[in-house]
Amino acid sequence: MGVILEARDVSKAFGGLRAVNGASVAFAARQITSIIGPNGAGKTTLFNLLTGFVAPDAGRIVFEDTDITGWPPYRVAIKGLARSFQDLRVLTQMTVLENLCLARPNQAGEQLLANFFSGRRVRKQEAAERERALEALEFIRLREKADEPAHRLSYGQQKLLVIARLVAMDAEVMMLDEPTAGLDPSMIERVSDAIRRLVELGKTVVLVEHNLDVVRALSEEVVFMNEGRVLEVGPPARVLSDRDLINVYLGLSA
Amino acid sequence: MALLLQLLANGLVAGSSWAMVALGFGLIFRVTGTFHFAHGSVYAAAGYLAYSGVADLGLPWGIAFPLAAIGAVLLGCSIEVWIYRPLRRLEAPPLALLVSSLGVAVFLNNLLGLVWSYQSRNLPTAAGTGYVLGPVDLSSFQVATVAVGLVVTIGLIIYMKYSSLGLTMRALANTPFMARIVGIPAERVTVLTFAVGSLLAAPAGILTMLDTGVLPDMGTPAVLMATIAVFVGGIASLPGAALAAGLLGLLVNVGIWQWSARWQNAIAFSLLLLFMVCRPRGLFGLKQRQVKV
Amino acid sequence: MEYILHILIFMGIYGIAAASFNLLIGYAGLFSLAHAAFFGVGAYSSALLTLRLDWPPLAAAAAGMAIAAILSSVVALPSLRVSGDYLVVTSFGIQVLLYTVFLNWTGLTRGAMGLPGIPPASLLGLQVTGHLGYVVLTLAALAFTVWVLRRVVLSPFGRVLKGIREDEVAVEALGKHVYRFKVLAFVVAGSLASLGGSLFAHYVSFIDPYSFTLDESVFLLGSVIVGGTATLRGPFVGAVILVGIPELLRFVGLPQNVAATVRQMLFGALLVVFMRFRPQGICGEQA
Repeated sequence: MGVILEARDVSKAFGGLRAVNGASVAFAARQITSIIGPNGAGKTTLFNLLTGFVAPDAGRIVFEDTDITGWPPYRVAIKGLARSFQDLRVLTQMTVLENLCLARPNQAGEQLLANFFSGRRVRKQEAAERERALEALEFIRLREKADEPAHRLSYGQQKLLVIARLVAMDAEVMMLDEPTAGLDPSMIERVSDAIRRLVELGKTVVLVEHNLDVVRALSEEVVFMNEGRVLEVGPPARVLSDRDLINVYLGLSA
Repeated sequence: MALLLQLLANGLVAGSSWAMVALGFGLIFRVTGTFHFAHGSVYAAAGYLAYSGVADLGLPWGIAFPLAAIGAVLLGCSIEVWIYRPLRRLEAPPLALLVSSLGVAVFLNNLLGLVWSYQSRNLPTAAGTGYVLGPVDLSSFQVATVAVGLVVTIGLIIYMKYSSLGLTMRALANTPFMARIVGIPAERVTVLTFAVGSLLAAPAGILTMLDTGVLPDMGTPAVLMATIAVFVGGIASLPGAALAAGLLGLLVNVGIWQWSARWQNAIAFSLLLLFMVCRPRGLFGLKQRQVKV
Repeated sequence: MEYILHILIFMGIYGIAAASFNLLIGYAGLFSLAHAAFFGVGAYSSALLTLRLDWPPLAAAAAGMAIAAILSSVVALPSLRVSGDYLVVTSFGIQVLLYTVFLNWTGLTRGAMGLPGIPPASLLGLQVTGHLGYVVLTLAALAFTVWVLRRVVLSPFGRVLKGIREDEVAVEALGKHVYRFKVLAFVVAGSLASLGGSLFAHYVSFIDPYSFTLDESVFLLGSVIVGGTATLRGPFVGAVILVGIPELLRFVGLPQNVAATVRQMLFGALLVVFMRFRPQGICGEQA
């Protein structure tokens, strides 16, 4: 399985704070990789760097053999690298299905003039996109919620919706920012199940996670970060039992 | 050459006046996040109250002017307490505050016109003994504007840096969420910020009344200039706003040398547009992360 | 009777301007203070092209819309910044700038003296005269405006705008070039406002800069807020109310100049009251 996404020696400082300091990591295609580390390790900043929300001060980001360093976020997303947010950012003023229809790429109807000069083509495509959106909703097993206003979903259901959005985007690589945070065990299981099935669809998944049980259960590879650097990469069995790393994680040593 | 020096002097006067308005506007914007359009009305009201204090109530300047300043402070605080605060408590979106502020400004500006009519109001007393510095001719009010502007600017900078209220205001500005958690009484500090901000605009309003007279809608161009100064100077920097206001005054007046006075708004705005495109953080602002993720 | 037709025409013209403004404020969440200026661009373009160069009114209106479209994209520049305050400031400045041009480029616009004798509108050689004629023309322009706005708002394009209004970061993350959508929203809104302005110029046959000030932008804002943002009917209801109330004031018998001031105070008060007690407007639904 080849490398699909890579950060090469990236650094980012905010004012005097070096959030990411010469980090390098390669993500293999079609597997689940988890990024773990204590708070302030630079995990979210790395996420932002990889997906274009923040431009690196140094280093390069390479996705599917293309240098995407400095690309704006929408361009990165169109290319197939999509992310979720820790604070979800579900569009509450729309229905669940509208949230997913919005996520569909390449919609002719998003070209302003197409709505005036090729109305019929737009409507036909809309119907097809609606079907795709429903399939994405089906993926998270919430088809019955299609016409509900998104704010009526429970927290756990919104976390699933966020994953469905990425499916609707036809993204190749999906980066999930703390997908199980704040969930009860049954919901964690539902989310974990959805993530597993993403890989079955051929997707690559990268997680930032604090729940080490989830990390252990899902990941094929674990990336341990601290103080803006990648300290260790390896299978969960090894990384999660490394005494030194555990101490770092718990803040017992530098 | 003589003309240029005179224009520079005039520019300094205009800039000093705008700096006082900009400081108040910028302080309120930075600490409370409110785009306080009605600040221009407060500025104008100070001038009108001072005028009426002397012309209608016969008070001496020494009493009328401080009373006018107090009136301006009360007006500014009332707007915060009765208009903005209820909206904040309802967690209304920023659009709501903006729209309300605009509504208040329109209402007040027209109220001023209703009460005092649309003739320019000025105190007919000593038009100010002039000062002549070489080729430059300035009235005493104009000199006072520069002096007061300087004092106010430096005073505010010192106050913000060393007083406890100043520290509290800065905390609220930088991390509003954390400040509340730490127990800073956000609503009280907000009202006090409006008080200080309105107090800053009062001398500008009074001096304008003395120098050129007050008009009911003079608040609008004042707010425009204040806004430009704050954004060009950098939202995060109060001295930057004052400096930018001064620069604006100089630029606009020197611009009169080349183009007619009628284009001063166009010149000021072009400067803003230049900064918006080339250096959006302003002269002294912090580099803002484009997206808060 | 003529008087009632006159009021209806005004309600229609300002309804067009308000509805186009609603695309920005209500649907896309873009707070621009420059809208009255685009209304003015249409008015001055039509006035100057038909008066000085004998252009047919439809072509002049189209030219006005093109100019407004270009200027709108300039206003849209600062919407690259996520913070809406930059947009408020820049649009405020553009409003003032355009007003200054209307007032001071006397060679072109005759400044404060205004442009009298604007020829009446004509479609396909038929001149539109009399109130009834203009009612029909206004209705046609209204129908066009509503058609365009419906197409935009009910389309996938409109859905993206709705998303941008709520959370543009989320929309960007979904792979949409948010900036492009914002610019296009401005272009459509500005062009339609210009159309309203062209109609205005032909109807009143005399224009001066004082119809296109910040006060007018506030009037349009009031129409949208009172009527209801993010609804298609709202701005028209709002325009009817905001044009209607001052006319009712006439019957109270205030002296002329006081009436204008009181009218403005009323608009200001309406904005504050609605924002506080019914932010969704008359036609809007509770969020």
